Amino acid sequence: MLASQSGVGPVTLFDATNYKTRIAAEVKNFDATKYVDAKDARRMGRATLFALAAAQGALRDAGFGEHFDDSDRVGVVLGTGIAGFPEAIKEHHEFARQGTGRVSPFLAAIILPNMPAFFVAKHYRAHGYNSTVVTTCAAGTDAIGASTEAIRRGDADVMLAGGTDAIISDIIFTAFGAMRALSTRNDDPARACRPFDKDRDGLVIGEGAAIVILEKLEHARARGAKIYAEVIGCAANCDGFHFVAPDPQATGSIRAMRAALANAEIAIEQVDYINAHATATQLNDPAETLAIKTVFGSRAYNIPISATKSMVGHSMGAAGAMEAIACALTLRDQKIHPTANLAAPDPACDLDYVPNVARAAPVNIVLSNSFGFGGQNACLVLSKFK
Amino acid sequence: MISNPLTMPPVEMLADKRLSPQELAQMQVLAHPKRARVVVTGLGAITPLGQTPDEFWQNLLAGKSGIGPVTLFDTSKYKTRIAGEVKEFDVTKYGVDAKDARRMGRATLFALAAAKSALTDAGFPDGLKENERAGVLLGTALGGFVEAIEAHNGFLQKGPDRMSPFLPAVILPNMPSFYVANYFRARGYNSTVVTACAAGTHAVGAAAEIIRRGDADIMLGGGADAVISEIVFGAFGVMRAMTTRNDEPTRASRPFDKDRDGFVIGEGSAILVLERLEHALARGARIYAEVLGYATNSDAYHFAAPDPQAIGATNVMRDAMRHAGITTDQVDYINAHGTSTPLNDAGETLAVKNVFGERAYKIPISSTKSMIGHSMGAAGAFEAVACVMTLRDQKIHPTVNYETPDPACDLDYVPNTARAANINITLSNSFGLGGQNACLVLSKNK
Repeated sequence: MLASQSGVGPVTLFDATNYKTRIAAEVKNFDATKYVDAKDARRMGRATLFALAAAQGALRDAGFGEHFDDSDRVGVVLGTGIAGFPEAIKEHHEFARQGTGRVSPFLAAIILPNMPAFFVAKHYRAHGYNSTVVTTCAAGTDAIGASTEAIRRGDADVMLAGGTDAIISDIIFTAFGAMRALSTRNDDPARACRPFDKDRDGLVIGEGAAIVILEKLEHARARGAKIYAEVIGCAANCDGFHFVAPDPQATGSIRAMRAALANAEIAIEQVDYINAHATATQLNDPAETLAIKTVFGSRAYNIPISATKSMVGHSMGAAGAMEAIACALTLRDQKIHPTANLAAPDPACDLDYVPNVARAAPVNIVLSNSFGFGGQNACLVLSKFK
Repeated sequence: MISNPLTMPPVEMLADKRLSPQELAQMQVLAHPKRARVVVTGLGAITPLGQTPDEFWQNLLAGKSGIGPVTLFDTSKYKTRIAGEVKEFDVTKYGVDAKDARRMGRATLFALAAAKSALTDAGFPDGLKENERAGVLLGTALGGFVEAIEAHNGFLQKGPDRMSPFLPAVILPNMPSFYVANYFRARGYNSTVVTACAAGTHAVGAAAEIIRRGDADIMLGGGADAVISEIVFGAFGVMRAMTTRNDEPTRASRPFDKDRDGFVIGEGSAILVLERLEHALARGARIYAEVLGYATNSDAYHFAAPDPQAIGATNVMRDAMRHAGITTDQVDYINAHGTSTPLNDAGETLAVKNVFGERAYKIPISSTKSMIGHSMGAAGAFEAVACVMTLRDQKIHPTVNYETPDPACDLDYVPNTARAANINITLSNSFGLGGQNACLVLSKNK
């Protein structure tokens, strides 16, 4: 991302020939058998497999080895938009063709949206707090906030938190197509997702999982763990406005940012970077810009803002978790990744979006926004660990 | 041929994992004196046994059953042909426009009706008026899954160009929470948990936590599901999880009975208005009960079957009591998960014994599902309403259809007849697919 590389390309997961949108940000060369037995993998949804892979990476990175020890002080909260949905639809194809006798007894293991969190808990032997939040495109951010709260109130010492989704499928492209939410810039995939650019024409669907290990500070210190960053605040609410469109006055997202800053007990002057929701839809980007101006006043123009989705598309429930990782690495490396494809300024989007080229900057506190279908808003505040 | 994933060790092999005296001692009180107290000030319930909390409760006390032949789809090809359906439901009575209703899933409609009832009951007949300190947290197992499958049927028949732009409003599992916030103008905290059959209990407990930590003054907490459909009956049928006692619908759900043969699917929604104590007192609200605590965890054992050692179920009860700041001696009633599957009821009995030791035999336990079946994400919320009513009326509803004792289920399940008793603290269990466990502790308002 620092090199402004794009992960968007032609769809390979289904035959998109007859669709207006034929591009997506797919996870390529993913081999689930590196993480689970091939037979077990066939009985899990793609979102579950992504989550298992991400969790393994996070455990190893945090120094927990291959699994926890069945502790009921280790929990899992994952966010997902609609994990298992494409698999449910595929199963329904079979069902519609062959009748009731042919339903797999493993159907529940694939289609229930709590299965990624279940399999992560089972595979990595985390027997504590367990939940799945389905706040659509805000779910990844929300899950990290909810995990933080579980540790804060003493229900866990360690939490696996993040999001996962894998929805690149015919029915989803049809549904989003009917809403005219998707970019149709099929001939130039790498440049299709253009947050804040005047010529943006919709979102690009992505997929994947991101999981972070959150830990009670004393617990991390006691085991001499490497600390990336501190979670200092979170908030979640609902526009209550429209089932898919954002409130043009952005009152919900304004309140979510303010509530997260209040939860973190910091002033607007302390925010050094904003990782925007920035989907590249006509409505989101100006509304988010307005919300940032309302919260930060004239300071809005002095805060670098960038869009992870400009390079990886919008992976729904995983998006906020991927953005949290981008924020943690921003704090670690003191470098801000760019918003790719920002070529033509839009008068409704006139802030500093770190166009096209990464930037070094002193960054102590970051704010990450996620806004989703159903007016779901979630914000997360991270700080450099001191 | 795929083997049945539910083939599990027989009940006799269930290991005993009683808590040691040291562990029991550790359960002493971990209260949170500084945090806000949370009370229940309104109830709404759209159930197979009535569409008001009082009608539901009186029917539960009378031991009536809400289970009958399925009318929502043609079950002639299915082994199970009964369910606990919500009958004669008219959402327009709750202020929802008929045209809007066609663009929403059945679970959303149930949730809107339950929310409207609960708010009216709590003294908010005009909704929450843009209150930023009022939020919504609902649980659902599958949200709009059934409608998604219907949309897919249309997609298969008519092709991609005929897809409704309202599809997300129907199929996304956060839509019940969204529409409740949208209709009743609750502008604060908003979330949806999908912890399968534990979601309703989890949502009520988590909603209370939002108030306790200061993020809201009022929360609508509860659950909604509407899964009575071909594909869900197909899926549960092949897992052999459902009863096939089709000729005796009202006697089909038999929790803890030796002849139980699986659960009955139910549907509906229940929503509780939860409120910060001071907020409720300041506006002179009627207070039904107090939410003392909750816990949630995962068996991390099997995607569908409960852990036969019931470790997760044991821990979740213990953690909920710790969270509530109470000891095992203080629990006067347990509303069981009690699904009527062979594995759940024996595993749950073992878990209750693990937690309560000898006292387990003295605590009345009953199963709401014996009368309304298992309504997935709504079930725990129905059971929370039943617990609130238990505390209000000092009466315990029975477990119906309990006829033949099972040696693996030898506690006091309040068989077949309601009972008056002194009840100060109730505990409600929910255990679900994906090893999800949740437990909620309520107390009489003092």
